[in-house]
Amino acid sequence: MCRSRPAWAAILAILLLALTACAHYPADPNGTLNNVTDGTMRVGVTENQKWVQIGEGAEPQGVEPDLLRDFASQLNADIEWHQGSEHELVDDLKHGELDVVIGGISAKTPWTTHAGLSRPYVKTKDGRGKTVKHVMLAPLGENAFILSLDKFLQSQEVQP
Amino acid sequence: MKSVAEKPRFGHTELPEEQSQALRKAVKFEWITIGYLTVSTIIVFLVLGNSQAMKAAWIEDLLSFLPPISFLVAAHVIKRPPSTKHPYGYHRAVGIAHLVAAVALCVVGAYLVADSGLGLLKAEHPTIGGITLFGQTFWLGWLMMAAMALTAGPPVYLGLVKMKLARSLHDKVLYADADMNKADWMTAAAAGVGIAGIGMGLWWADAVAALIISVSILRDGVRNIRGAVGGLADARAMTYDDAHPHPLTGDIDDYLSSLHWVSEARSRTRDEGHVFHIESFVVPKSQDATIKQLEDARNACIEMDWKVQDMVIIPVGELPDEFLPGQTTGGEED
Repeated sequence: MCRSRPAWAAILAILLLALTACAHYPADPNGTLNNVTDGTMRVGVTENQKWVQIGEGAEPQGVEPDLLRDFASQLNADIEWHQGSEHELVDDLKHGELDVVIGGISAKTPWTTHAGLSRPYVKTKDGRGKTVKHVMLAPLGENAFILSLDKFLQSQEVQP
Repeated sequence: MKSVAEKPRFGHTELPEEQSQALRKAVKFEWITIGYLTVSTIIVFLVLGNSQAMKAAWIEDLLSFLPPISFLVAAHVIKRPPSTKHPYGYHRAVGIAHLVAAVALCVVGAYLVADSGLGLLKAEHPTIGGITLFGQTFWLGWLMMAAMALTAGPPVYLGLVKMKLARSLHDKVLYADADMNKADWMTAAAAGVGIAGIGMGLWWADAVAALIISVSILRDGVRNIRGAVGGLADARAMTYDDAHPHPLTGDIDDYLSSLHWVSEARSRTRDEGHVFHIESFVVPKSQDATIKQLEDARNACIEMDWKVQDMVIIPVGELPDEFLPGQTTGGEED
């Protein structure tokens, strides 16, 4: 066990280094929550039944845009809507150009390597009788932002 | 033979009190290990989430089942006495079990190195969000750290106990398993530290912690594989941790050489698992070494250590170099 002494030294170094940067816990590596708070939340939307409805020249409507408007007002943030396909939006999210992506996305989404998932905030049944857990996508590893989104979503009584 | 069937034995080798106690204890602790692993596998699975180190810790838990299982299987098999089909007995089962355990350890190490290394290269940012329990939404990382703290404790103790038993029983499976327990608590600790680091916004903390630990695990795995393969391929007998040549070979040579009727003696020893298979070549001073002298010498050697049982003494005119490579006794040529 003596051989692992460098390992423990390294771990200790990580801890010490980390303590100096310890303001929020958990914290975002890229500071999403800080940027959004009192600023702008960039939301990617893609049309999906009652979850996200996009009309000409109007703000997106539906369950999820409504939720995010409430969340944004909690953070005293304005919302900037971006419309696109799921693929385009997830790519923008991955490159830090969006903060949240919505569009009736299920917890079984294949985008998990590109995006972080919120906790499922409501369950519905799909046409085949299978349960669908609805989530929103956020940037990978922005844990403070995802946690605050989770806290908001879990406190909502969402009626599907 | 039948009357002592209750006594713990390895093949026809009857175990001394210390070893039979150690064996009983080892079997007990391996069952405890399996129980602990079952619980920890379930706990870790429940909080798995998106952390690389957590996933690695879980896969490691799964692979940790292999050493205790292979030990228990081997401990069962080696009880059988030698038979017509297996005249050397079943001792090699231990060597096979050691190989299984060593490969498991190596796979854990290699997997962790690759997994955390790739995560680091691809700059993967582990996502750990919230979890809702009893109406409270809090950071899942806290739960993960708690799970790691819970699962890191027991293997420290299990590993220490097994390391002691491994020495007493000359059991390399137990030794590899103790290494596996060490790997267990070290990855759990690393995962805990890694998640704490993620909480501080250091996305790489998780992968770096796992990488550091995995290198040490891989090294243990490779060392054990070398030992196991060496043992199976009839390398000279080594100590239980494969660190040194076993001193018994030298002791036997010294004893045989010190006999008044012997001018020279050299042995070769291979590790059958627990017990040694020894061939000793002795050069008698005069041509008339008696059967009695040879038998007495053999019995005296068997008395020296419980691992000596399968031993033959061969009287020769001169030491056969082709069977005894190297200059020194005990095979310390390197």
